[in-house]
Amino acid sequence: MHQINKLVYYFAILLIILSINFFLPRVMPGDPLSYLSDPGADMPARMTEEKRELLLEYYGLDKPISEQYISYMVGIIHGDLGWSIYYGAPVLEVILGRLKWTLLLVGTSTAIHVPLGILLGATSAWARGKKKDTGLLISILSISSFPSFFLGILLVIFFGIKLDLFPINGAQTAFATYSSPFGKIFDILHHLVLPATTLVISHIGGTYLLMRNSMLGVLGEDYIMTARAKGLSEQYILHRHALMNALLPIVTMTAMTVGFLIMGTIFVETVFAYPGIGNLLYNAVLYRDYPLLQGIFLFITIAIVGANFIADTIYVRLDPRVKNE
Amino acid sequence: MKKTVLILAVLLCSVAFSASVLAENDRVAATSDKTVRMAGGTPGGSDWGYPSPFTFYPRGPGYARMSLLFDTLTWKDANGVIPALADGWKVSDDGKDWTFYLDRNARWHDGTSFTADDVKFTFEYMKDHKGGFKWFDATSYIDSVDVVDAHTVVIHLSDPVASFLVDIAGNVPMLPEHIWKDVSDPLTFKDDDAVIGTGPMKLVDYDSATGVYQYEANHDYYDGKLLVDKFISREVSDTASALQTGDVDEVSFWGSEITAVQTFESDPDFEIKAGPSFWVLQTIFNCEKYPNNDREFRQAIAYGIDRDKIVSQVLHDGGEPANTGIMHPDSIWYNPDCTAYEYDTDTADEILDSLGFVDTDGNGIRNYPDGAERSGDITFDLYTTGKYNREAELIQADLATIGIKINVKTSDWGTIDGYLRSANFDMVISGHGGIANPQIMRIPDWPASTYQNSEYDSTYAAQEVEMDLDTRKELVNQLQEMVADDLPVYTLYHPYMWCVYDPEVLDTWFYTRDGVSIGIPLELNKLVFLARYGDANENGKINMQDVTKIERMILELDDETDMADANQNGKINMQDVTHVELTILGRAPIRTR
Repeated sequence: MHQINKLVYYFAILLIILSINFFLPRVMPGDPLSYLSDPGADMPARMTEEKRELLLEYYGLDKPISEQYISYMVGIIHGDLGWSIYYGAPVLEVILGRLKWTLLLVGTSTAIHVPLGILLGATSAWARGKKKDTGLLISILSISSFPSFFLGILLVIFFGIKLDLFPINGAQTAFATYSSPFGKIFDILHHLVLPATTLVISHIGGTYLLMRNSMLGVLGEDYIMTARAKGLSEQYILHRHALMNALLPIVTMTAMTVGFLIMGTIFVETVFAYPGIGNLLYNAVLYRDYPLLQGIFLFITIAIVGANFIADTIYVRLDPRVKNE
Repeated sequence: MKKTVLILAVLLCSVAFSASVLAENDRVAATSDKTVRMAGGTPGGSDWGYPSPFTFYPRGPGYARMSLLFDTLTWKDANGVIPALADGWKVSDDGKDWTFYLDRNARWHDGTSFTADDVKFTFEYMKDHKGGFKWFDATSYIDSVDVVDAHTVVIHLSDPVASFLVDIAGNVPMLPEHIWKDVSDPLTFKDDDAVIGTGPMKLVDYDSATGVYQYEANHDYYDGKLLVDKFISREVSDTASALQTGDVDEVSFWGSEITAVQTFESDPDFEIKAGPSFWVLQTIFNCEKYPNNDREFRQAIAYGIDRDKIVSQVLHDGGEPANTGIMHPDSIWYNPDCTAYEYDTDTADEILDSLGFVDTDGNGIRNYPDGAERSGDITFDLYTTGKYNREAELIQADLATIGIKINVKTSDWGTIDGYLRSANFDMVISGHGGIANPQIMRIPDWPASTYQNSEYDSTYAAQEVEMDLDTRKELVNQLQEMVADDLPVYTLYHPYMWCVYDPEVLDTWFYTRDGVSIGIPLELNKLVFLARYGDANENGKINMQDVTKIERMILELDDETDMADANQNGKINMQDVTHVELTILGRAPIRTR
């Protein structure tokens, strides 16, 4: 009974979110053909009213809104996300083409900043009050507080231009051919270093602080005093008791932020010309590309709901005190 | 703890560095292919769509990238209209029938010959799929197309079209009938066959996400010899640094980017060419909404805006105050006699006073007169995209000194477009290109359309069909004067434009007369990659120097020798004439040096 209730609950939430995803873009003034008159630094086509009507008809934008809503919902059930008006390609194709780069960037930087943040936070908490702690606290917080795009630009100027060690844009060298598959992998890694570093520096502050606080809380617990009394070594206490227990909030936080990170990378994507989802979403909003917007919102919804679910599951595994009803 | 962190850090760094070294070493060495790379734009701004005639994004750079693959009947170079797929043409006296004589050697990229059937098919296909060709097509002016023989075609118009050679013959890309006859929805046709044209380039690769285009030369091109083997247009995060580091070989700048251009001026490795941007920034008034519906009020505002200050402070003099009549000073349509509104706050004040807008409550802002549609202080919202914020702020400051309060509202273009179309605005700052083509003047305040003037509409309609160039110019002059007098828009400035390039890679860059096709201000004209037949000395221009070059080639003389001394013996006499005769007859002449 409980399970069915939960399912109905999730289904209702999904329906509401999908409906909001449909109506929200249409609330904005302008329409998917507005970009055609955009005063860019080039020449836009002068569209006659007659041609505009023809295009609206072609894209189904002249139908009543209820009809558009129904075909949108039906489309999702069939897995058909529609055709992007601006990019002139199936929405799914456009999104997937960009998604892989975002996942690579977000995945790499998360895989680095989380363990690093944990280590540093634990070290700080363990050495609380001493110079090491204060030093770490001040330095990590100050560099992490810089806006990500500012950090990105600094890295571009210093490592990309002045020292010429890393490429400053793109995810890979365009049209290059390699003598072995490793060549391509290394090229991608080469392009990944600067943007990933930027993200790591930006996000490590949060993880570090949370770990430090969580650790401090744990270290004040009675069972730590018990462990010491038992005569266990400091290292053992740190790793086996303190660290593991302090990890719990990090798990939830990481799972939650991964869902949001997909959009949060937009600044880094812009600075490094990294072709990810953040940039795509920004453009889709600017161009009022309704089908594309709906598709991206769907992916984000799935990502966040999925992250939520994973966080729940992992938390239960890690903390036997939480019973699953 | 510290050790682990240290080890991790060292590991990461070594991975990063080894990746870079290995990537460089593993990359297959570039062949001796001559490649030209161009900066297509910044991130998110270098994708112009799949370059088929129906899927390119309807903006200048999109059309330009499609035009490398597809030819038109006529084209333009630095001086004007030139033959392309049509070698010659003639028009009937009433201007309604155009006969084109097609090039006999033109072939599609798949080897099939180009014939008059393809021309007929193209125009009929465009008519059948009217929404498809989003670029200006005007095929609605075409009645029918007749095929006389394989290389002669006649196009019948319902009314004469004065700009036919540029706007239709020089704009509509020819489609291969054998491919497109089976395509029912051109907007979704993105197969490899969709980019088969007759053009000097073939498409090798296109990626939408990174905005990268890769072309390879069509060495069988019928109209000239390709100077390059490959052309790449790609996204760069900063144009100036990409050119500096050699990531690209050519970049264009404009307006306030003059500061970047200046850094290249002293650099001997790069050359700079300046060109007209055919672009204008203007304030659009809502001529249907009080008080902007009063012409004199608009003129007062014009007197109250200091355009020179905007050009120097915002553009750093990378532009000039605009023609109040819109058409660009470098185009053949420019009317230099349009009413100008020299910045003069006294005149502005006088006009506003005489219209009854007086500051009755002493707060520095004028008030609406009693009984007017609006009351209180004169306040408007001035909408702009973030790009023209600084111009908007300068205007705000200027109008404050003549007692009008402006609220600058920054928004994205979609929103502003919505307001313009529904006439729900007071003033908007916006701009557009194409001001080398009178076609742009159809609706002077597009995409708003609050300016209603039947005399303007009929003058525009008249110039559309006027085949005599001088008469047409006179009509376009009148249009410009009406805009300058009535001020549905008050133009602000024309930005300058430059292309900076590495001459060792390619040095044939030029600016097309009145813009590429219907008026695109870009330097990306396919002729840049060609040494056209007739261009014997391959310098991008066809003139008497080419004839001289051909004579030298026949006489087997190098570029320095005096051509009158054909036998190169240091003396000019009858023996030189004999030498020339013998050379032409193919008999190895004896040189007496």
